Order: sequence, then C-alpha cells, then structure tokens
Amino acid sequence: MKTRAIAGMFLAVAVTAGFLCVWRLQEGLDKERSKVESERDDLALRSPALMKKLSLEYAPLVGAIYWTRAVQYYGLKHYLGDQNLELLWPLLDISSTLDPNLIVAYRFGAMFLSDAPPRGAGEPEKAVELLERGIKANPDYWRFYQDLGNVYYFDEKNYLKASQAFEEGSRNPAAMPWMKIMAAKIAAEGESLETSYALWLDVYQTTTNKDIRKNAEVHLRLVKAEMDIREIDKAADLYAQKTKHRATRISELVQAGLLPGQLGDPDGFAYVLSEQGKAEPNAKSPLREEWLREKK
Amino acid sequence: MRNIRTVAANTFREAVRDRVLYNLVFFALLMMGAAILVGQISIGIEQDVIVSLGLTAISVIGILIAVFLGVALVSKEMDKRTLYALLAKPVKRWEFLLGKFFGLVMTLTVNTAAMAAGLYLALWTVKHPLLKSDAYILVAVYLILLKLAVIVALALLFSCFTTPFLAILFSAGIYVAGLFAADLRTVKGVDLDSGSLRLMRGISYLLPNFQNFNVMGAVVHGRGVPGVFVWQATLYALVYIAIILTGAAVVFSRRNLK
Repeated sequence: MKTRAIAGMFLAVAVTAGFLCVWRLQEGLDKERSKVESERDDLALRSPALMKKLSLEYAPLVGAIYWTRAVQYYGLKHYLGDQNLELLWPLLDISSTLDPNLIVAYRFGAMFLSDAPPRGAGEPEKAVELLERGIKANPDYWRFYQDLGNVYYFDEKNYLKASQAFEEGSRNPAAMPWMKIMAAKIAAEGESLETSYALWLDVYQTTTNKDIRKNAEVHLRLVKAEMDIREIDKAADLYAQKTKHRATRISELVQAGLLPGQLGDPDGFAYVLSEQGKAEPNAKSPLREEWLREKK
Repeated sequence: MRNIRTVAANTFREAVRDRVLYNLVFFALLMMGAAILVGQISIGIEQDVIVSLGLTAISVIGILIAVFLGVALVSKEMDKRTLYALLAKPVKRWEFLLGKFFGLVMTLTVNTAAMAAGLYLALWTVKHPLLKSDAYILVAVYLILLKLAVIVALALLFSCFTTPFLAILFSAGIYVAGLFAADLRTVKGVDLDSGSLRLMRGISYLLPNFQNFNVMGAVVHGRGVPGVFVWQATLYALVYIAIILTGAAVVFSRRNLK
C-alpha cells in the first residue's frame, strides 16, 4: 500500500515536472520561431475559387471563419502598430467569394481597406472593388451605395463619383431620403465640413460595432473642431482687417465682439491662436495629436 | 409492412443503446461555445455563425452517423451471425433492408430534430425574440435530413456487396463527388473530345447531386427557399432513394450468405 502511494506521488511529481519542462521548451521554441518563419505574412490558400470548392457545401461557415480571420488580422496589426496590411485584401476577397451575402464583410472590409494608415490599409481602390462586388451580389442593399459614396468622398476625393453613388443608391425604394440630398449637396459643394459631419454622424448613429462607432466619433470630433477653427480664423481675419494686426489671443476676438465667447473643442479645451494668428486645438487637448496627424 | 416496422424499431433501439445520441452533448457544447465566443472575436456575424455552424454541425454529424452506422447495419448483423437467425423467420431480405434503412433514418430524424432545437436555443440566446425569417432554418434542416437519407441508402447499398471499409470509402467518395456533380456538366478549359464531355454529362446525372439539398447560403442570411425547390428536392431524394434501395435489395437477395 505504502509502495503504491509513493509510486503515485512519484508519478504526480514526474508528470508535473514533465509539463513544466514542456512549458519551458515551448517558450524557447517560440523565441526561435521568428528565425524559422518567413518575415512576410502568409496565407496558404489565396485562390477564392479553390477555397469555395474545398469548403464543399459549407462555404457560408468557412466564409464567416475567413471574415473573423480578417477582423483578427486587422485588429492585431492595429494593436501592434504594424501598418503592413497586405493580407487584408486576400482575406476579404476569400470571405466575400465564399459567402457573397456576408454584408458585414463588404461594409467593414471597405472601411478597413479605405482608411488611410495608420487606421487602415490606405487602399480605397480595393474598397471600391469590394463594394462594387457587394452591390452586384446584393443589389437591394442600398447601404453599399452609401459606403461607396463615403469611400469616393473621403478617401478618393472624387466628388463626382461620390455624388453619383449616393444618387444611384437613392433610387432604391428602401433608401433613406437624405441619400438624394447628400447626392445633390456633394455635387454642388464638393467637400465641405458640414457634409463630412453629416456622413460621419450617420455612420456613428447606425453602426452597432463599438470600434467603428469609436472611429466615427473621432472623425466627428475632428470635423467639429475644424468647423470651430474655421469660424475662429474667419473672425481673426476680420480682426486683422479692422485693426491692421493679427490677434494673438482669442480673448481679443471676443472683446472685439467678433466671437460670442471663448470657444472650446469637443473635449472642452479652449482653442488657442498660433504664432501666425491661426486657431488650433489647445496643447493640453487630447484632440490635438489627432488633429495634427490629419493636417499632415 | 409489419416486418419492416419491427426491424426499423429494433434498429432505432440498437442505435440508442449504442449511445449514438451522445453526439448531442458535443453539439450542445459547440453551440454554446460559438454563442459566447464569436461575438467577442468577430464583427457582426454572431447570428450568421450560429446558424451556419449549427447547420454544418447537423450536416457533418449526420453524415458521419449515416455513413458509419449505415455501413454497419448489414455487416454487423452478418459478423454477429444474428442475420441468419432473423432470415430464418418469415422476413424477406428486402424487408430486412428497408427496416434497417427506416430505423437509421428514424435515428437521424430524432438526432437532427434535437440538434435543430439546440440551434434555435443558441440563436435565441444571441438575439431574442426570434424572427419569422428564422423559420427558414427548418427548411434547411429538412433538406439536410433528405440528404442524410440518400447517404444511408448509399451506405446500405455498398455494404451489401463489399467490405465495411470499402463501403465507407465508396459512400464518402460518392458524397464528395455528388457535391461537384453540377460542375461535371459545366467543365471548361479542359481539352476533352465531345464523347468524353457527353460521358461526363451522363455521369453528372447519375451521381446524386447533393447540392440540391444545400440552401445554407440563403437561410443563413434570412432568405426564404421557394416551395417548388423544396418539393423538387424532396421528389429527387425519394426517387433516388427508391433506385438505390431497389439496387441494394437486388444485390442483397442474390448474395450468398453461407
């Protein structure tokens, strides 16, 4: 009996020691793996048609798995601060081929592709291709036209095509009435802060995903700041015309009756005037860094 | 008819006794895991994944049961020599085969119905209330069941004249080939003469076209399936099963069981 107990204890210790050994070895192997693996990201099967055949009758599930891979890939790259998103398009290509009705892959995929680095892959032409494919497979889904318009408007700066996309989408009986208004507004004004604000506001109000909502919120805050800065600059120009010198503080503009009061950015920090007398976010404002990046 | 019913009921009881329905536990765990995990690692596809994963699991688990149990239906009886005792009674060989077929189809129906209920439960946990369009899932489940019945018939046919291992290989092979049956008709870019093309076309109609029972793509996105399609697929399965079982009965009645 005693011998059996000792043997059992010995076995338990040996198994525990064995697993500890395995754990340490795995850590060592993980460190060495980078030397063995190629530096480029890789996707074993890049042919969407082949993938569709290989997935037999379970293409919708495999499509969803590939979409999850795309989300994870984008998220991980974002987290690591790695701007190389070369596999994003192949992953989206395969997901949308495996399941042509996977709306979410077209909508968010286009957003990931079109956004400029570091937020996205900076490939708006691929985003257009993806959305056009989505429209072909799901002609009744009017939101694709809105997304297409957004890509043309924000990323390609092609206002004619953006207006055409909104116009085409507005012909769908289910489309929101503002699609027609947006088409006309973009055709008439090209890029304007008010239009940008309206477009981002819709993204913010309609998305159910928290990351997309956060992204839209950042854009809304930036556009709002840009609108405030435009007002302040207008007042500063008027002040310079009247007094023959540029104001160095916003309070001077308020005192001159050109502004109703000290304006604050969406984070509540007062705007300041630069040495050139131009308005900009306060150095303490969290918005400033994002604003400077956009300016670049 | 009574003989077929008796053999069918016994086949069902035997499957339950063999713990075939234990796969439901695996299915339940899979659905629960998916319901919890997918929402956290992906964007906007919780419902799609629940439905597609659920239907895939129903299909794959069903195919495994249909092939492995379908092949064992006859061979096990022969190995255990219980078949001889049974055939000594006033039970015809074709009645035995039909009874085995209906018994396994009954097992698969119970199994599939339980998994469908689990799928609805998982769906209900990620979005409630359920919508009218969610009822289309039942159409997909019904078509999967038809597909499984065709596979059971195939497995029975092969087990009547070959070894269990080969019967499994043939059944699985015909299933995979049947998924590409339509492609044989539309094959392009290959240097084939018209005779070969006609042959391939002929084979494509001989093979059971399993894509006829695949509506997952539509159902996952809440789209309906035309009633005509369902009727035609049902008739297709019934005719196909009738042909295979007739072939199986002919082969089995001529088989020397000594």
